[in-house]
Amino acid sequence: MDMRPRAEQRHEPMQGKRKGRMNAPLAPAARKRAVGGRDPWQVALAGCYLLLALLIIYPLSQLLLGSLRTGTGSWTLAHFRDFFALRYYRAALEHSLYVGLMVTVFSTLLGVPLAVAVARWGVRGRALLRALVVLPLVSPPFIGAYSWILLLGRNGWITNLLKAHGLPWLGSIYGPQGIILALTLNLYPFVFLLVAASLSSIDASLEEASANLGATPGRTFRRVTVPLLMPAILGGALLVCLTAMADFGSAMIIGEDYLVLPTLIYSLFFNEMGGQLAMAAAASVVLLVCETAVLLVERWYLGRRSYGMSALRRTGEREVSPPLRLLASAFTYGVVGISLVPAAVVVVTSFFPSSGPVMWPGFSLGNYATVFYSVPRALFNSLYLSGISTLLCVVLAVVIGYLLVRRSSRWTAGLDALLMMPYAVPGTVLAVALISAFGGRPLLLTGTVTILLVSYVVRRLPYAVRGVTAVLHHMEPAVEEASVSLGASPWGTFRRVTLPLMMPGIISGAVMTWVQVVSEISSTILLYFGPWKTMSVVIYEQVMSDNFGTAAAASSLLLAAVFLPLLLLNLWQGERTAELV
Amino acid sequence: MGMGLTIRGVEKRFGRQQALAGVDLEIRPGEFFSLVGPSGCGKTTLLRCVAGFCRQDAGEIAWDGERLDPLPAHRRNLGMVFQNYALFPHLSVRENVAYGLRARRQAPALVRERVGRALEMVHLAHRAHHFPGMLSGGEQQRVATARALAIEPRLLLMDEPLSNLDAKLRVEMREEIRRMQRALGITTLYVTHDQEEALALSDRIAVMNAGRLEQVGAPLDIYREPATPFVAGFIGHTNFLRGVVTAVAGGQATVSLQVAGTAPQGQERGQEGACQVWVPARELAIGVAVTIALRPERLSLGAPGAANSLPGEVEEVVFLGAVTRMRVGTAAGPLVVEVHGEAAGDIKPGAAVLLGFEGAAATVFADAAQGG
Repeated sequence: MDMRPRAEQRHEPMQGKRKGRMNAPLAPAARKRAVGGRDPWQVALAGCYLLLALLIIYPLSQLLLGSLRTGTGSWTLAHFRDFFALRYYRAALEHSLYVGLMVTVFSTLLGVPLAVAVARWGVRGRALLRALVVLPLVSPPFIGAYSWILLLGRNGWITNLLKAHGLPWLGSIYGPQGIILALTLNLYPFVFLLVAASLSSIDASLEEASANLGATPGRTFRRVTVPLLMPAILGGALLVCLTAMADFGSAMIIGEDYLVLPTLIYSLFFNEMGGQLAMAAAASVVLLVCETAVLLVERWYLGRRSYGMSALRRTGEREVSPPLRLLASAFTYGVVGISLVPAAVVVVTSFFPSSGPVMWPGFSLGNYATVFYSVPRALFNSLYLSGISTLLCVVLAVVIGYLLVRRSSRWTAGLDALLMMPYAVPGTVLAVALISAFGGRPLLLTGTVTILLVSYVVRRLPYAVRGVTAVLHHMEPAVEEASVSLGASPWGTFRRVTLPLMMPGIISGAVMTWVQVVSEISSTILLYFGPWKTMSVVIYEQVMSDNFGTAAAASSLLLAAVFLPLLLLNLWQGERTAELV
Repeated sequence: MGMGLTIRGVEKRFGRQQALAGVDLEIRPGEFFSLVGPSGCGKTTLLRCVAGFCRQDAGEIAWDGERLDPLPAHRRNLGMVFQNYALFPHLSVRENVAYGLRARRQAPALVRERVGRALEMVHLAHRAHHFPGMLSGGEQQRVATARALAIEPRLLLMDEPLSNLDAKLRVEMREEIRRMQRALGITTLYVTHDQEEALALSDRIAVMNAGRLEQVGAPLDIYREPATPFVAGFIGHTNFLRGVVTAVAGGQATVSLQVAGTAPQGQERGQEGACQVWVPARELAIGVAVTIALRPERLSLGAPGAANSLPGEVEEVVFLGAVTRMRVGTAAGPLVVEVHGEAAGDIKPGAAVLLGFEGAAATVFADAAQGG
């Protein structure tokens, strides 16, 4: 191996002007020395550190300090003692862990067979399935929860249908089972997408070698395929666990009095404002610890077991008997179909005439009229806030992603670690942290739009950066070197080669940021104020006040805001969309 | 005429690894100069230091007496052809070739003319509007070359430009490169691990090993007179015989060969006449341990008149067409022999043969601690 240490590349200072002529006589050596000004990328690196320290480290440390202080400002562990001593608090922790575990287990049980069926058992319509499976993932979970209430709730369509025929209904959808149902159908695509990608990265020759050495197909699957898939399965499962424990919306809507940590924090924060802020901070710290633990397990495991495969020859479909293929197809389309039910129900019922919680079949635009009449600014707010934060996120992600990959050094390693933190910070926790940090002087941001934007950008930035770095890692540095050796300045190279080649990553990163931000509720509901109510908050309020028709219309508008950009992205770059979620 | 490229005392260290341990080199204007050596010998690092992609720790690099190393890479005006071509995937062939000229703000008419000429030279004018992804490996290589030449660089750098091509295309392309280089008279610094490629292309070659230059010279000189056992082993195929000088007389040194699997010390000195050979003495003295390098084609089969002969048994015969290569087991270890003509193809493994060679055909290295 010839050594080509990227890290050692000289950081060339930017050149303002290019030479006007070919083979222009070069300036004397003395003048060339003068180019040793400051590398703009170093300034950018320092700026990124400052920004992330202010927006991540500072709020989180304020949160921790807040949980350790009494109302009078002295130090205390009382909040944590109360948390673990009192049934009310401890139950929320147990509930969160239980929900997290169950959603993880069920998502894995759905996602892995689904991936195997689609990749190996000849289920037809693979491209369509891959596209459809992304939809539940990007639909806000609280819309799913709300939709299951419409179907299976006390006054749900299916519940009433069963009652009318004298059939027994097994139980209530409210509480943990509802949360688990809604979240599982929302999150299993994580497992599916990761495992499917991993399956297609296994070189065909590995399984052929196993067969050639005398292993039966079953043994090959158990001894070769499954171990190779393990990092993807575990990676997906832990991602599901992380997201499920952080979920606020569906627990709030379908959980009723079954409190999990995020809903506990919310109620502590709002029921008795002031006195309970420290308790909310303590609960936030507990949730943060749980999330960090899961994240560390994931990093530790994947750090030890990533095989870095890239298939020279992809494993093709296996010859399967028609009945098996039929079974696999039924299973696949069944699961994907059921997970799409919430979105369909919401859209269909949004056109039903309604009055409060009562809706009846028919066609009316009344619900939409109500949305625009009663909360005229909500749609604009959602689009506006998402637009601005997406823009901020993308610009930051390009700078940080470039620094991490192309200017990687000891210094950027810290930035990378800093960027890992938001993965473990649920929206509810970040909101409480931001309020702790920016709720007073010297940096008063609560009650401004800035604090909403900060919460969106901080939480989505790691994903956007990952999109950029993925493309950059894929891009040979030699391409940029070629540009420099042909006489383009470092800045010219960045503008004319690096940036255009990063575009696919930037655009899909932007779309994914938009999709997540536009339906964000967990931090918005704590941070919004007066005129800046967003669509997700409107939906929550309408569901809570039993205005199901209005909620359905608002949800449909939100789904349109989520799906349309994705659809455009999909048309533009085809199948790759699924890989970037 | 200028002085060409001067590299003086260049050192480069990556962490604990010394990639370049003081390299001095002069490349004359118009010369086709190759750096050859095994992976990790520092040849690519040296090329990248010249190109400006890595900064040497010590030493200087100059063109026509003017220092290059203080210049940032984009102002050195050196054309570079990368191993993986590094074509811009988002630009067409024409735009790729025009890139360097546009970066220099050339007039559109001039760009068009130069690009046209460069594409013509590599016979790709008909592909101008294609994108790199649509081209074959050989075509991509030619675009990369045209792109580097379009800026009319003072020096052309080529980093294993043919290593991604199949064997037949590689031979075609290297003739193409040589033709172009001659036609343009452009000074070229070429990096390859393929010694045959270097022999075929170069005016001069530098053999590198572990960050140092082992030998610099014309291909024929390096092949005939390798300066070190490493060069003898790396350039062409070579057999190595180990032994000790036991007598020096009349310009001839008697070398007692180390019998395979034993130490070369006194006890078996002169024990078997078959294990003694005579080579030109030069500056050898009695008692010096030596390594004798012998090219396979300089060994003959059963030539009665040869100064030296070693009896052996044929272990393996590989018929390669014009040449038959065989491995012959001798007391001094297995030796590879190449014989011209297809007659030797009839020899079967197990046959007893007598290997002969002239003393002058051997290259003798005194006290070489290292083998091949």
